[in-house]
Amino acid sequence: MRIMKLGITNFWRNSWLSFAATLIMTLTLIIITIFVILTLVIGRTTDVIRAKMDVSVYFKETATTDQIIDLQRQVANRNDVKEVRYISKDEAIEKCKTQTQCKKVIIFNNPGENPLPRSLDIKPISADNLDQIAQFVGQEEFKPMIDNISYQDNRMMMERIIAFTAFTKEIGWFLSIVFAFISIFVILNTVRLAIFTRRDEIEIMRLVGASDAFIKVPFVVEGTMYGFLATIFAMGLQWVGLLAIGPRIEKYFGVEMLQQLNSFFISYFWMILGLELCVGVLIGVCCSLISVKKYLKV
Amino acid sequence: MIEIIGLSKQYGNIRALDNLNLKINRGEYVFLVGPSGAGKSTLIKTLICEERPSSGKVIVADRNITKLRPKELPFYRRKVGVVFQDFKLLPQKTVWENVAFALEVCGATAQEIEDRVPKILDLVGMLKRRNNLPNELSGGERQRVGIARALVHNPKILIADEPTGNLDPINAWEIVDLLTRINERGTTLIFATHNKAIVDRLKKRVILMKDGKVVSDQLRGTYTL
Repeated sequence: MRIMKLGITNFWRNSWLSFAATLIMTLTLIIITIFVILTLVIGRTTDVIRAKMDVSVYFKETATTDQIIDLQRQVANRNDVKEVRYISKDEAIEKCKTQTQCKKVIIFNNPGENPLPRSLDIKPISADNLDQIAQFVGQEEFKPMIDNISYQDNRMMMERIIAFTAFTKEIGWFLSIVFAFISIFVILNTVRLAIFTRRDEIEIMRLVGASDAFIKVPFVVEGTMYGFLATIFAMGLQWVGLLAIGPRIEKYFGVEMLQQLNSFFISYFWMILGLELCVGVLIGVCCSLISVKKYLKV
Repeated sequence: MIEIIGLSKQYGNIRALDNLNLKINRGEYVFLVGPSGAGKSTLIKTLICEERPSSGKVIVADRNITKLRPKELPFYRRKVGVVFQDFKLLPQKTVWENVAFALEVCGATAQEIEDRVPKILDLVGMLKRRNNLPNELSGGERQRVGIARALVHNPKILIADEPTGNLDPINAWEIVDLLTRINERGTTLIFATHNKAIVDRLKKRVILMKDGKVVSDQLRGTYTL
């Protein structure tokens, strides 16, 4: 108990050094956590988007109903297709009326005129089959009647998201490692400085017969406190940060991404807290032990 | 009580202690004298296990302290009180706290501290100044606190390394008086000093060191180089 008290007293006595060490540790924890969460959330969002993806085939005005029904039948017979739905011009315009962007297109056209094409909505059994289905409907024999296949656009979007995920992971790992090293370096030197500034006290402790543990453990307590306080600061700042950047995430990545992020943070709150506490306390304690072993001769 | 057998300490090319042999009995009052570089400080450091000798043995209470394991050192140091020339007090702690600190670091209970500290402070005449910080005290008073701290574990041996070196003559004599009274209570006292007047007046055992060797050992001696 007395040793713990001494460690806490020392932490406050060197408040500037302790503050610097805690701050660096907080940044490290935030960066590690952000990238762990982002990687997982982006991965999950990609899965959600993939699951919702389908192939839409839009027909030219010249395409006959027989041709369309024939294609629908052929597609429906495929093993990798879950559902094929024909969307007529009327159905398309009804659906369009519920969407803000689409509404404007109708307003600019003459009343009674329907500019929207007929289409087939093809849902695959698995998102992995999307490529094969798109290839099938994109065959030469169907080209004369098909105006556009929407899958190409979606695929580009998907590829961009996947590339972004990979990029985020790499940057995340890199920054996490860099900050972990900075953190270790700062804490090693903080403890070293603390030992240096307290060398007289340590010498006296030693000469009056203080045990090894009594001299060393307060430094380890300090290291633990860096980790503990940094975890509290990091959790607080992450929560505030999430509230602040939430609208931007929604704007650039869509509401799904924000929902994923929020639900992830809430449902994994204790896990994130535990992870940060483990990483923070582990770095703090290890650095203290190394410094004490290296610089504190008892 | 203390037996030193063939003790040598080498620092590079310098031989600080050269095959030293000594025997100090329980309750003795011993002056350790000699010019600077004679090896007094090295001998004291070896006695408090701050330095390991290059060879030889130091037997204290039937144990060779040169072979003590790191875990055993704190327990040995609690049995040997040390008084320093520069007092080595913690400036941010009061007189009471400085003395109590020596008990705290050894795991004494609050009750033990409450019992022991006032008795020791009373013994060295510092009870009235228990709430003062070291910088509010004279040199002699600081040394009294240093002695109180050294005595708080009730050691059987008290080693004083130039305890009067930083004091004016009046304060120096007060400290000598105090150390003499402590010795009369049964504590073995090893007193390293350059102060000829003190050594000559007390007429106690005087061990003269030079070049790491004992050159004379007189039972009721004086300071002669």
